[in-house]
Amino acid sequence: MCICILYLNVLSRISGSQATEVKVSEVEFNPNFVSRMIPKLEWSALVQAADGLGHLQDLPTELIADYEANEDFLRKVHRVLLEVEVLEGCLQCPESGREFPITRGVPNMLLNEEEA
Amino acid sequence: MEPCLENVKAIRRSKEEKKLLRKQIKASHTLLKHEGISTVSKPTKSLVVANGGLGNGVSREQLQVVLGEGGDVETLIMHPHKPYALVTYRTEVSAQRGHVLLNGRQLQCGDQVVTLYLSYVDTVDSESGVCAVLPPGLVLVEEFVSLEEEALLLDAIDWKSHDEEVTVQKALKHRRVKHYGYEFRYDNNNVDKDKPLPGGLPQACVFVLERCVRDRHVKVMPDQLTVNQYQAGQGIPPHVDTHSAFEEPILSLSLGAKTVMDFRHPDGRSVAVVLPGRSLLVMKGESRYLWTHGITPRKFDVVPACDPESPVAVTSDFSNHSNLTLSRRGTRTSLTFRNVRRTPCDCAHPSACDSQQAPPSPPSLPRSQTDACRLEAEYVHSVYEEIAGHFSSTRHSPWPRVCHFLSSLEPGSIVADVGCGNGKYLGVNPEVFAMGCDRSCALVQICSERGFQAFVSDALSVPLRSDICDACISIAVIHHLSTQERRQAAVEELVRLLRPGGRALIYVWALEQEYNKQRSKYLKETREQAPPGNSTDDHNQETKGLTGNSTDDHNQETKGLTVNSTDDHNQETRGLTGNSTDDHNQETRGLTGNSTDDHHQEKKGLTGNAVDSHNPAQDPSSMVMECSKVLPVKDSPVKLSVHTNRTAFNSQDLLVPWHLKDGGIKKGGRVSKMTKDPPIDTKSPVLAPCPVFHRFYHVFQQGELEELCARITGVMVQCSYHDQGNWCVILEKTRDR
Repeated sequence: MCICILYLNVLSRISGSQATEVKVSEVEFNPNFVSRMIPKLEWSALVQAADGLGHLQDLPTELIADYEANEDFLRKVHRVLLEVEVLEGCLQCPESGREFPITRGVPNMLLNEEEA
Repeated sequence: MEPCLENVKAIRRSKEEKKLLRKQIKASHTLLKHEGISTVSKPTKSLVVANGGLGNGVSREQLQVVLGEGGDVETLIMHPHKPYALVTYRTEVSAQRGHVLLNGRQLQCGDQVVTLYLSYVDTVDSESGVCAVLPPGLVLVEEFVSLEEEALLLDAIDWKSHDEEVTVQKALKHRRVKHYGYEFRYDNNNVDKDKPLPGGLPQACVFVLERCVRDRHVKVMPDQLTVNQYQAGQGIPPHVDTHSAFEEPILSLSLGAKTVMDFRHPDGRSVAVVLPGRSLLVMKGESRYLWTHGITPRKFDVVPACDPESPVAVTSDFSNHSNLTLSRRGTRTSLTFRNVRRTPCDCAHPSACDSQQAPPSPPSLPRSQTDACRLEAEYVHSVYEEIAGHFSSTRHSPWPRVCHFLSSLEPGSIVADVGCGNGKYLGVNPEVFAMGCDRSCALVQICSERGFQAFVSDALSVPLRSDICDACISIAVIHHLSTQERRQAAVEELVRLLRPGGRALIYVWALEQEYNKQRSKYLKETREQAPPGNSTDDHNQETKGLTGNSTDDHNQETKGLTVNSTDDHNQETRGLTGNSTDDHNQETRGLTGNSTDDHHQEKKGLTGNAVDSHNPAQDPSSMVMECSKVLPVKDSPVKLSVHTNRTAFNSQDLLVPWHLKDGGIKKGGRVSKMTKDPPIDTKSPVLAPCPVFHRFYHVFQQGELEELCARITGVMVQCSYHDQGNWCVILEKTRDR
């Protein structure tokens, strides 16, 4: 479950203590793809999640202007978005505190009958 | 927030190491998922050796040698049939050395090469060494006949007349079977009690029967004999001999090579019993009426290592597993003697009894949210969890028009596949960012293993932000929701996810399986398009007598409608199990017998469509209206009928069977029933009595999906069409909402 998904997700809080297994793999870099994804992300949430997993590295905390042309920047985003994966951990809803487990890379977002 | 580096394995490794690590992790995930074995990352004295099991063809002796390279092995546990072994070294250091030396090691086992993956596990419990217990009522008598007597008996069986009827090819694939005394009938699972076979039981067997009576294994001389001959690699699927056909006990004399017979209790317990040559197996009580028995088709069996001639039983629990090895099979002939039953069975096991069993009461259409959730939990979600693997294997070809929709999206689009199943569509367009969600953990896990982004969630409550998706697809999903309100809510959820201007593609199973003079694949066995002139649809189709297993009062004759297959749906020819795969891979397992060729000639046994060349095709929409009008509204709950696969739908809300392919009773599975056809009692080459699961469907009438979308504000139906037995719409979320 790559970090990317987490920002697309309302429940986007994840911290280092909650991710017990994170994997980094190599994914082919596609600058166009990354550029197109960026406007769809909540930047601050991305930063927070990356930080929480210990993978913030040198990703800027603010989205820079003119990022499409900035390959260096795009590569940093690429790494965090597509190469860092949470295999085991949990997602926490910032409002309710309800935790959703991530097992073997798969988050389980089912609510109980009472919660739905 | 301080990053917890010690908890995070983010070290870059060389490609080779990474690959090995990936495979090791994948192996350990599989072990967790299928075997409940949890691996740990910190070294311990114990390791699980994935692929190093008896189930992989690896023998104890071989593995012991290899493991010894690490150091002294304290215990080595190899469960029968399992694809792993558990080793405990004397010291942690030895375990670590073993791990380093053996992770990724390849072993030659017979004609196969297996690769071992090692992971640490918490200390393995020591075994109790309790003796395994045979199923109640089962007795094994060794050395029941002498070597000379065995030779005489084998000589006396005349296979010549058998082989004349059966082709050589068949004889090689299936075990050889011959009956004496009474004839078996496949259509009613029973013996033809009024037609004894001439000749009775062979003279050579009389002494065996007399001995059985003398030794009080049976009171009355058996009057029916079935001879089975098994070559190595042949077996017989698990079954219970039909109660109403035969009394108890059932006596089985094994001649030739020994084998292992598996007994399984409905609660999942299993016992493997070694049957040595010249032994007599006596099945009474539970072992005859309740536990299934079968012989797995394979070339090796797992038997106790120290005393191969002793008939020790091996259970599914953890006893005895430190002392097992492999035994190669040879040719075995069994003589099974039975007494034909002439009065209804009155055994103490009605659940397995065809004389006593009442049909289970069918579920009804829900009338509240709670009922709806419960119905879907039982007849959708848990079924998919059980059948996930098999289901996924039949769903591998994406449908062209869905692919077209996906391929026409802008690169960089965000696409949600709600109800993604095994992820069939997630990789179709690599230029978009596709995420799948499904209600089934097992199916989502398959997506994840394929490298797709997927999560488990309900289609009515998708945990994604509103307005985030450029496109959504929902293929063969919404028809599993059991009320109109829930189906609409599912579409509303898709719309919520879409950004203004975004589009959703929805496919649902159609009541009308034939459209525009084209039969969908659901009824056709073959893929070929109907050649012109041989049109299937110039003719009014009447599906007379098409009731399947309907218990529905409102069973309608669906005039003018034929039912055609879509590849999303399990196909089955009546009376025979056969799960077909999609368009590209017709898998017609077992005996199909009935062709559904493009001339749709009705063959025997195929419930279905009579062709009437004189009546013109009727307007499908009027057929549909006829269907819905005739259905009266009742106060009492509407019972859901069970559909007969590959036939016309006679109601919109129904249960559709899925025959699980791997046969036998699945542990803890939600089995709706065991099929009665094909027959399960005969010791003849028939198919396994596979578990049948029922899935709830609401099939949509023409126009119904559009009507549903029209009730939602802020959307526009861009187009709607019929595709291979499905109604489809493309919706757009309008910009001015």
